[in-house]
Amino acid sequence: MHKTSIKQFKRKLITIFFLICLVSTDIVFAAGIIISASVDKNQITLEDTIELSIKITGVRNPKIPVLPTLSDFIIRSAGTQSSTQIFNSNVQTTTIYKYLLIPKNEGTFIIDPIKLEQSGNTYNSKSISVNVQKTNPKTSNVNKSVYAETSVSKINPFINEQITYTFKLFRRVEARNLNLSMPFDETYFRKENLGKAKRYSQLINGIAYDVDELSMALFPINSGKAIIPSSMMELDLIYQRESNRRRDPFSRFFNDPFFGRNSKSDHKILTTKPIEINTQIFPNSGKPKGFRNIVGRFSLSATIGKDILELGDTTTLTVILSGTGNLMDATLESPNLHKNFKIYPDQPIYKQSIHGNQIGGEKTFKFALVPYKTGKQTIPSIELNYFNPEKNAYITTSTKVINLTVMPGVGNENLNLVTPSTPRTDQKNSEISILARDILPIHTRLESFKNLSIGNNTKIIYVLSFFLPVIIYLFATVYIRYTHQMNNNTAFSRKHKAYIKAKQSLNHLSKSNYQEKDLVKKLSLIIREYIGDKLNLQGTAFTPKEVEKTLIDNNFALEKISIIKKLLKKYESMQYSPISINEDQGLINESINLLKILEEKS
Amino acid sequence: MTIKKIVLSCLSIFIFFFLINSIWAQENNALTDISNANELYHDKDYIAAAKIFKNLIAEGHVNGYLYFNLGNTHMRLGEIGPAILNYLLAKSLLPRNESIEANLKYAINKTVDRLDPPRTGFIQELFFWVQAASLNEYFQLSILLNIFFWTVSIGYLCLRTPTWKTLKTVSMTALLFVFISTGIKYHLQSSQKLGVIIDKKIAVKSDTGIQNITLFELNEGAIIKINEGNGTWVNISLDADKTGWVPIKSIGYY
Repeated sequence: MHKTSIKQFKRKLITIFFLICLVSTDIVFAAGIIISASVDKNQITLEDTIELSIKITGVRNPKIPVLPTLSDFIIRSAGTQSSTQIFNSNVQTTTIYKYLLIPKNEGTFIIDPIKLEQSGNTYNSKSISVNVQKTNPKTSNVNKSVYAETSVSKINPFINEQITYTFKLFRRVEARNLNLSMPFDETYFRKENLGKAKRYSQLINGIAYDVDELSMALFPINSGKAIIPSSMMELDLIYQRESNRRRDPFSRFFNDPFFGRNSKSDHKILTTKPIEINTQIFPNSGKPKGFRNIVGRFSLSATIGKDILELGDTTTLTVILSGTGNLMDATLESPNLHKNFKIYPDQPIYKQSIHGNQIGGEKTFKFALVPYKTGKQTIPSIELNYFNPEKNAYITTSTKVINLTVMPGVGNENLNLVTPSTPRTDQKNSEISILARDILPIHTRLESFKNLSIGNNTKIIYVLSFFLPVIIYLFATVYIRYTHQMNNNTAFSRKHKAYIKAKQSLNHLSKSNYQEKDLVKKLSLIIREYIGDKLNLQGTAFTPKEVEKTLIDNNFALEKISIIKKLLKKYESMQYSPISINEDQGLINESINLLKILEEKS
Repeated sequence: MTIKKIVLSCLSIFIFFFLINSIWAQENNALTDISNANELYHDKDYIAAAKIFKNLIAEGHVNGYLYFNLGNTHMRLGEIGPAILNYLLAKSLLPRNESIEANLKYAINKTVDRLDPPRTGFIQELFFWVQAASLNEYFQLSILLNIFFWTVSIGYLCLRTPTWKTLKTVSMTALLFVFISTGIKYHLQSSQKLGVIIDKKIAVKSDTGIQNITLFELNEGAIIKINEGNGTWVNISLDADKTGWVPIKSIGYY
């Protein structure tokens, strides 16, 4: 038990020690950092590349070394390798940075020491001398496993004459990662593609080569000398290694390039020679008028849609220009038919095609013709001048003369009439064609030009129109309800009519010629009836005492009750008194005032 | 007191008739101008015709046919941008007029960009019928239906029969419908502003200021939606993806 725990403790100690060692390698190895630089070859041609390897030992995860200025090379990173070796507890870490140097110029160049700054110290490698030689044009392609060349179909073309620029890659070994650059000066040439690359085999001095060929059409657009710069092909060549595994039944399988075990890759950059082109101007002799720099071989044909048509009817004149050359630049003026036809040219349609290595195709020009005059009409020959570089001469191609007959129309048609914007679909095979479109005319009916601006007055009218009906409705509601109550509710009706009725009676009384006693009796009756109507009771049967009681029950003010009581008593006493009063109008007025007081209360 | 009332009444009547007369006189002057401008148009003096139409509009004469005629005049002068702007104005006042629609389409076809008016929003698509009438027409219809509804309501107070009740329900539904439509029309008209490019070609910038990135270019006559203004620059959009800033002087809007 005790031994086991000691063993476990020892193991832990070893593990901890090992981990400390691993962690502190930077510190341990910092003292022994070595940087070295090497190249895979130092004698190369402009076609080759140099693999520069910078090996750093004695430090884990070193900083990226600083390369010196190498203006004569294109530098590309080719990856990093890192390895750790342990020999008898001695740990050694190596990191290799690889770079691909592509020479730009010939000569002897010194690759200055490469610097590494690590833990505050600077470490330098030794400098390397490299000699870059020019590729010998005479011997370069002989028996070479790979080479490239470019050619042009013509070095002294005319302006706008097509030249074919061809790049060919000859190889006897397998190639991968092909990258081709074919630059050209866009100020001097216009480029058209000539399709995909071709691949074929070719025997050169009895040696079979696989050839990859790519062409492009260049049209010089300016005269004078111009250089087509070097084309550059970058590729990896795959060489098969000889091995002793031929007898091994599995060797064939493992020798497959997929496994990459028995092959060697060589990165190459193949450059071609620049080509000088001297573009000529067109000869002046025989240069036709209206020549529009069309170069190639062309033919012109024309057809007419209908050769018999009515006045105002339309027909289409189709002119087709076909051939090889700069057809895309070709233009055609409208035929000179303005005296007899109205002409509407359409947008030309260009269809490009490739004939061998020649750009060509067909350009179609369409003109809608509307005859002005009836009778037999002739569309004269349409001509196009072009320059044929093969014959070194200007050539005129033309169409045949076309005859057509224009019949009188059914009715006169105004050519500027605007046809309906939506064509009718129910008329099949309709022969009405839209000749022109125009805006519809201005509006002239003056009564339609009323000012519709919403001014302040209009706004007031709008607001009133919105709220006035509501107000009228509210008034109507109140009135109708009132009328309804007056018609159906006796108490309500008596109460609301009491004052008017009493006042009318009093007025009537003042105009009548009653006896004094009758007058007083009548006045008393009117007052009591008024109170009866107000309280929906039988008023005529009231005595002054009953009036007092009823008014108190109905919450009349004591002061007013007292006045009524006094007046009614007065009427009573006057009614039964033998003395003559002679105060007719005074009593009536007093009664009216009393009614007013009571009405105020109610 | 009675004499005062008579004098006041006479004065009111006089002022009323004076105002009516002056309005009529103004209206007659405007109609004379329009007649003259139409004659100038027919005589192919488009510049003079356009001047009269523009003056009338500046004086506050609002009429769809006036904008339509001005649009035609601009078309004849080869000014597609102002023409489209005036057709759009005319269309907002006379939405069912086929001549305006036809000429607007014709003018749009003449532009480089050939942009139709920007797509409408969800509300406009939901309440599609609001485009069928102008705001003024909706107001007038609202007033008519309002008067009709309250009259029917009073009728129903007097004669409480099922016929009057049905009439009241129907008129109330119609009134609510027209009220909502009017509200939506007003909202759309005040919130969605359309504009037209009046310069030959303008660069639409990512922000205010010519130093900013040009997002896209628009040509004369392109119809755009105006989102917000910032003094001399306005934010415009064609759709959700195409939005940017243009100088306010390069566009016409309403």
